[in-house]
Amino acid sequence: MDVEILKQITHNVFLVKYENREFLVTKSRFKPHYGERKFSDFREWIPYRSKLAAMILNGYTIDFRPEIKMLYLGAASGTTVSHLSDIVERGYIYAVEYSARPFKKFLELALERRNIIPLLKDASKPEEYAGIVEKVDFIYQDIAQKNQNEIFAKNAEFFLKNGGEGLIMVKARSIDSVAEPSGVFNRVLSELEENFSILKHGKLDPFHRDHIFVHVKF
Amino acid sequence: MPEYMSEYKVWFGKIYEKDSEFEVRKCDDLVQSFEESKSEKLGKLPFSLKEVGIRVFKSEEDYYFSLRRTAIQVAEKEVEKELKGSERYLISLLKALDEIDLGINLFSEKIRDLEEIKIDENTENFRRIVRDLKKLRRDIEDEINSQIAKLMPNMSEIVGGIIAARLIEKAGSLKKLSSLPASTIQILGAEKSLFKAMSRMKKGKKAKTPKHGIIFQHPFIRTLPKSLRGKMARFLASKLAIAARIDYYSGELKEELFESVKRKYEELRETSKTSKTSKAKSRK
Ligand SMILES: C[S@@+](CC[C@H](N)C(=O)[O-])C[C@H]1O[C@@H](n2cnc3c(N)ncnc32)[C@H](O)[C@@H]1O
Repeated sequence: MDVEILKQITHNVFLVKYENREFLVTKSRFKPHYGERKFSDFREWIPYRSKLAAMILNGYTIDFRPEIKMLYLGAASGTTVSHLSDIVERGYIYAVEYSARPFKKFLELALERRNIIPLLKDASKPEEYAGIVEKVDFIYQDIAQKNQNEIFAKNAEFFLKNGGEGLIMVKARSIDSVAEPSGVFNRVLSELEENFSILKHGKLDPFHRDHIFVHVKF
Repeated sequence: MPEYMSEYKVWFGKIYEKDSEFEVRKCDDLVQSFEESKSEKLGKLPFSLKEVGIRVFKSEEDYYFSLRRTAIQVAEKEVEKELKGSERYLISLLKALDEIDLGINLFSEKIRDLEEIKIDENTENFRRIVRDLKKLRRDIEDEINSQIAKLMPNMSEIVGGIIAARLIEKAGSLKKLSSLPASTIQILGAEKSLFKAMSRMKKGKKAKTPKHGIIFQHPFIRTLPKSLRGKMARFLASKLAIAARIDYYSGELKEELFESVKRKYEELRETSKTSKTSKAKSRK
């Protein structure tokens, strides 16, 4: 059975048809990393596992250029980073995660990809990696922390180029476990507006309930 | 030796600043300089790390090649260290917390005894110590919560940091906890309250023998009527057994786990409300 390309979304990101089903995929010469399928040159990008895939399938796309430098906060075991690594082919991803167990699996990915620089660090202390990470074009943050806005602003202050952009994945419950999500999101957005301009925000339903993405510019 | 304005430790060595010129001294042992750059409290660097770095690495390609290789070497070392040390650290923190509680209780009792007779400098000082202990207690509790979120994201999401930490302490390790059946997790820690109950009985007081473990401290159980607590505890324990396994083997958060626990709680709370109102009606 052949893979039929239905649409190219951005560099190395496609919507394809395979066995009569549609899949979001990245073009990749690497093996699967988290149980996703691989058909011909493509790795399935599972929206239930990756919030970035959910955002794209919900109709919003960020055009990551293949040569950019990126700082990724909250790499976990590298589900989303593995796809970004396919996209940012000629660039570099500085990937920060503070929990050792998922990081162990993430290191397997870092070993096979030349564009990933793994850092076992606490994202709330950028001064501890300021002597390692250069200025970047983009900051991606998915850390599900109460003070995530503060953490994002701090990292942007240290590492984001002027005019650089960022994407933040916000989980309502990690900020306030009892309040209505919509109220939490409004608060997060107005806080972010103090330091950034908001390019776009939107829901990640039905893949991740009570989550939003926020795309900002510095 | 020339006089430098400031010195920056970065991953590939040291950078000296003089009259807004930057001089680089590359370290021979990159693993060492990489590790040391973290301990240094660096502010925002007044130069471009990569540009200065390329001066000593000759090409951009070499810069990234060395950076990535060093980062991986350091990370591999740190992961092993973390996995070995973090549980022990957590359990010591928890023990410290319990000892502080004992101290606070003991001192508070003494203060009450003394103050009944006389309030003076000594009782003042005693009070200050208790205040300090309470502050220390909060700090330790915060540290436990932040450590546990790294070590057991799923368990701590479901039952909170302190209960999750107590379960580890009781089981002995996350590895052991992850091999326990739900029925054991449900009563983990019940031994202690059993002991308490027995000593109350010895003193001739009334006491129920408890069948409840640590997880009964959780608000999802405590806030339900007694008749439903057992049901909730069984459900919670079964999800905790799964959470412990995921935390031990992958360490990644699975949102569905907490959501299913919350749904179950809300469901049980609803049934308790409706059964109350229907009882009230039938009494009329
Ligand atoms: C929802 S997961 C990220 C999933 C990942 N972005 C993906 O899509 O593949 C959140 C991660 O952030 C990490 N995290 C939370 N707070 C952090 C901090 N202060 N520093 C570094 N990592 C953190 C957690 O350990 C967890 O692995």
